[in-house]
Amino acid sequence: MRLYADRLYNYILRMVGNATDAEDLVQETFLRAYQGLPQFDGRASLGTWLYRIATNLCIDHQRRRARRVQTVSYSEGEDEEGEPAAWDFPDQQTPNPLEAALNRELEAVVEDAIDKLSPKLKTVLLLYDVEELSYEEIARVLGIPIGTVKSRLNHARTQIQKAVAAYLDDALLSAQARGIK
Amino acid sequence: MRCEHFERQMWAYIEGQLPDAQAFEAHLRACPHCQRQLAAAQATYRTLHALPRHRAPANLSEQVRRRIAAAPARPRFDWARMWWRVALAPALGVLIAAVWWGWQTQQTAPSYGTATDDLTESLVELHEQLEVADWSPSPTPSYFISTGYTR
Repeated sequence: MRLYADRLYNYILRMVGNATDAEDLVQETFLRAYQGLPQFDGRASLGTWLYRIATNLCIDHQRRRARRVQTVSYSEGEDEEGEPAAWDFPDQQTPNPLEAALNRELEAVVEDAIDKLSPKLKTVLLLYDVEELSYEEIARVLGIPIGTVKSRLNHARTQIQKAVAAYLDDALLSAQARGIK
Repeated sequence: MRCEHFERQMWAYIEGQLPDAQAFEAHLRACPHCQRQLAAAQATYRTLHALPRHRAPANLSEQVRRRIAAAPARPRFDWARMWWRVALAPALGVLIAAVWWGWQTQQTAPSYGTATDDLTESLVELHEQLEVADWSPSPTPSYFISTGYTR
C-alpha cells in the first residue's frame, strides 16, 4: 500500500495543489477501491484502476472548488505545517551550484505552467511525464482513445515549453544586459 | 520543412521516436527560431522528468486502514425486497411520458386553432371588402391634384 500511497499522493497533490486535500483524496481513493473491489474485473492493473478512481475524485474536487486556486510553495522546501517537505530527488549527478539554482528556477517555471493547464491536459501530462504510465494505460484510466492521449500530451507539453522558452529568453536577455554593463 | 511541421515533430524527436530525423535535423541546422524552440522543449522535458516526488505522510496508510475499518459495508442489492421497485420503474416512465405528451398536445393545439381562425377571419373580411368595393373607374386622387401632378 505504501508504494501506491506515495504514487497517488504525488499525483493527487500536483492535481489539486493542496497537501491537506491531497491526503484526504488519497484516503478516499483507497476507500472507494476497497468498496468497489467486487466490481474490479482484473482486466486493468490495480495501479491503473487506482489512478482512474483518483483522477475522477480530483476532477470532482476541482469542480467543487472551481476557481479557488491554491498552490503549494515548492521553493521553500517546507510543507504546509512548516515541516521539511519529504522529497525524493531522482538519482542524478550532483550539479554545480549555478546549475542547481537554474534547475530550481526551471522547476518553478514548469510547476507554475502545470498549475495553469486545464484539468484534461494536466491529467495526461502528469500521468505520462511524471507518473510514467504508458499511452495505453492512460487511455484505460481516462477511457479515451490513445490518439487523444497523444494529442493532449503534445498540447500540454507545448504550453509548458512556451513558458520555459519565455523564461529562457528573459534569462538570456538579462545575462546579455549584465554582460554589456 | 516548415517551422510548424518541425514543432509538431519536436517531442517525438526528443523521445527518440522519430523514425526519419534527416529532414528534421536539416531544418534545425538552418533555423535559429527552431533551435531555440528545441532547446526550450528539451529543458521542459528534462525538468518534467526530474520533478521532485512528494511522499505521502508516514501515517497515511494507517489513516486509510482506520477509515476502511470505520466505513459501513456497502449494502448488496436485495432482489427479494426490491423487485417491485425495479418492475415499477418502466411503468412510471411510460406514465410520465404519457402525461408529458398529453400536456404538450394541449399546449400546442389551441395555438394552431387560434392562428387558423384569425387567418380565416381576415380572409372573410377581405373578401367582403372586395365584394362591396366600388369597381367603377376612380377619379384622379386628390393628392395628385394638389401637387399638380396628373397621369
